[in-house]
Amino acid sequence: MSIHRTLAIARKEIRHILRDLRTFFLVTVSPAFLLLTLSYIFVLDVQQADLAVWDLDGSPLSRRYVAVLTADGDFRVRAPATSYTELDRLLLAGEVDGGLVIPQGFEAGLQAGRQVQVQVVLDGSDPIAASQTFFSLQQRTVAFAAPFRASPTLVVGGLEVRGEAWYNPALKSLISMVPGLIPIVLSMPALALALAFTREKEVGSFESLIVTPVRGTEYLAGKLFAYLSSGLVSVLLVWLIAVLYFRVPFRGSPLLYLLLGADYLLASMGFSLLIANFTRTQQTAMLLVLMIFFIPSFFVAGLITPVDTSSLGSRIVAYSLPTTHFIAVSRGLFLKGLGGEALLLPAAVLLGMGGLGFASGLLLFRKRLG
Amino acid sequence: MILRILNLVRKEITQLARDRLMTTLIFLVPIVQLLLLAQATGRRIGDLRVAVLDLDRSSVSRQLIAELENREELSVWCFAEDEDHLRDLLDRGEVRVGVIMPQGFARDLADPLRTARVRVVVDGSNSVAGSIALSAASAVFAEYGQERLEALGVSATLLVDLRVETLYNPTYNIRHFAIPAQVGFITFQITLVIASLGLARERELGTLEQLIVSPLSRLELVLGKAVPAFIIGELNFLSIFAIAIHFFHLPLRGSFLLLLGLTSLFIIAEIGWGVIISAIARNQQQAILFVFILAIVDITFSGYLVPVENLPRLLQLIARAVPMYHYLVIIRAVMLKGAALTDLWPHALALGGLGIAILSLSVQGVSRRLD
Repeated sequence: MSIHRTLAIARKEIRHILRDLRTFFLVTVSPAFLLLTLSYIFVLDVQQADLAVWDLDGSPLSRRYVAVLTADGDFRVRAPATSYTELDRLLLAGEVDGGLVIPQGFEAGLQAGRQVQVQVVLDGSDPIAASQTFFSLQQRTVAFAAPFRASPTLVVGGLEVRGEAWYNPALKSLISMVPGLIPIVLSMPALALALAFTREKEVGSFESLIVTPVRGTEYLAGKLFAYLSSGLVSVLLVWLIAVLYFRVPFRGSPLLYLLLGADYLLASMGFSLLIANFTRTQQTAMLLVLMIFFIPSFFVAGLITPVDTSSLGSRIVAYSLPTTHFIAVSRGLFLKGLGGEALLLPAAVLLGMGGLGFASGLLLFRKRLG
Repeated sequence: MILRILNLVRKEITQLARDRLMTTLIFLVPIVQLLLLAQATGRRIGDLRVAVLDLDRSSVSRQLIAELENREELSVWCFAEDEDHLRDLLDRGEVRVGVIMPQGFARDLADPLRTARVRVVVDGSNSVAGSIALSAASAVFAEYGQERLEALGVSATLLVDLRVETLYNPTYNIRHFAIPAQVGFITFQITLVIASLGLARERELGTLEQLIVSPLSRLELVLGKAVPAFIIGELNFLSIFAIAIHFFHLPLRGSFLLLLGLTSLFIIAEIGWGVIISAIARNQQQAILFVFILAIVDITFSGYLVPVENLPRLLQLIARAVPMYHYLVIIRAVMLKGAALTDLWPHALALGGLGIAILSLSVQGVSRRLD
C-alpha cells in the first residue's frame, strides 16, 4: 500500500467535497444544521394547550379559577363555549386541545366546603399532550382548591419522597436530546461516503480506476480518509452548537469527544461501505442506508425510549447499530462527565465495527475486480 | 403533447422496473419503517433497572423493595453498598434508578411526630426514561404513605374533582398518534426520492442532453418525471394505509375518499419540492442529501413528533408553510376524529395553495437550469 497513492485519492475526494459549495454544505455543514433544526422540537418543555371554557357559574370565583389556570401562559383560553355542540366542533376542527366545563354552583359549593365537579374534555388524538394537559390542570386545581378546606387537616408524620435527577436535574428534554441527536445527525458523512462510492460504479469511472496502479486498499483508505476528515469538522461544528448555542453542559474531555467521534465516524462509514457494496445505483444505496441505518437509529438506539433489552433479538438489533453505542458515549461525555476507562467498551466495539466494515468492503471489492 | 408525456412516463417506468432491487426497496423500506415504529410504540417502557441502597434493613424497607419490584416499569437489579457505589452504577448506565432508604426509616415511619424520608435518584441523561422512572418509584412510596394516612383515618378527598373525558382515543394508545403521522411521512419520503432523483440522475449520467434536444418541452419533461412519482406515491400510500388499518387496527372514522383526495394534493406539493431539488442539485449525491435535510426539516415543523405549538413562536409561523404540517393535521383528524371537509377546509386550502406555489416555482426552476 502506497501512502502517496492513498493521499492522491484522498485529495481528489476532498476536492470533490470542497469544489461545489453545495456539496460542502451538504457533506460537512449539514449535521450542524440538522442538529439546530431537530433540537428545536425539544426547546420548550412546557406543554402549551388551548382551552375552550364553558363557565356555567359565571361567578367571581369561577373567573378566578380560570385566571389561576391560565396565569403562566401554558394554558390559553381560545374560545368561550356555550354548549356541548360548540365544544365538539372546536375539538373536531382542532381549534382547541381541550374543554373545561365549570358547573353552576361552583362558587357556592366551594365556599360551603362541599366537593364540586369540574368536567374536562380532552382531545386524545395526541395522547402524550392529553395526559400532560390533564396532569397540569390537576396540579393547578389542587393548588387553587387547597385554601377552601374547612379545617386544614394537620398531617403529622408521614412519608416524604425526595426525587432527584442526576446529570440533568430539571429533567429537561433539550439537555438529554441534544447529545442523543448528535450521533444521528453525524450519520450524514457516512451516507455521503456510501453515495460517493456507488457513484463511481454508476457513472462508470470505476472502470477507469481499475486500470490505474491504485490498489483496492489505497482506493478505500483514500476515500475513507477524505470523508473522515470532513466528518471531524462536522463533529467540531456540532459540538460547538450544542455547547455554545443550546448551552448543554459538557462535563467530559473535549479531546476525548473528538477522538471517540472519529471512532464513531469510522464505524458508521464501515457500516455504510458494507451496504454500498451490494448496490449499483445511488438511489438503492440511499434507500438501504435509510432502512438499515438511519430509521432504526431513531427508534431502537435508545434516543427517546431506552434500548429494549427484553429479548435477545431486540438486543442484537440495537447493539449492532453504531448509533446505540455512540448515543451512550455522547450522553456519558456531555452529561455524566465520564472518563476514558468507563468508555473503553463502546470505543472498542465501534473500532471493531469500523475495522470489520472496512475489511469486508475490501474483500468484496477484490472479488469484484478478480 | 399527451403522447410525448406518456412516452417519457413509459420510459421511466421501464427503467424503474428493470432495477429489481430499487422496486423492492421502494415498497420494503416503508413496511420496515412502519414495523419498527409499531414495535417502538407498542411496547410499554418496563423493567428499568433499580439499585437499592437500604441502610435501614427493616421489614418495612424490605416490603417497599418488593413493592418496587411489583411495578411494571421497574425491576430491582442490585443492592448498592454506599452512595459512591450507587453513583458508579448510574454513571456506567448499569441502572437507571437508585432508591436510598436511610437508617431509622422504619422507626421514623412508625413515629407519628416524625417524617420518614426516602430519596429516589434517577439518571436524567435520558429524560424520557428518567421521568418515567421517577414517577413510578415515587408512586410506590406515595401509595404506601397514602395507605398509612387512610389507616389513621385522615380523609384525603379533593375539593374540586376534575372529571376527565377523553375523546377520539380514550385509551391513550400512542400508536393512534404515531402511525397516521408515519403514513404521511412515508408517502412524503418515497415521493420525494423518486421525484428529486429523476432529473439529477439524467444529468449525472449525461442523458439529460438527449432529453433536452428531443421535441419535449420543459413542461412536458417535468410532467413526464412527475407522473411516475405520483403513481408510486399513491401506491405507497395505499399499501401503507392498508397495513395500518388491517394489521395495526387503526380506526378510519372519516371518509376515505376525502383522505385520498387530500393525499393526492399533498403528493403533488411534495413532487414540486422534489423537482426543485433536482433543479438545484448538480448530481445525485447532492439531491439525496438535500432530501435528507428536507425530511428532517419536515419532522421538526410538521408536528410529527411534538405538537407544533411547542415550537418557539417564529418557528410556528414557518410550520404553516410546510405542506406536511397541514397534511398531518388532516390525516389525524380524518382517521381518528372523523372530521369532514367542513372542519378541515383551512388546512385543505393551505395544502392546495402551497402545492400550486411550489409547482410553479419548480417549473420555473427547471426551465432556468436547463436553458
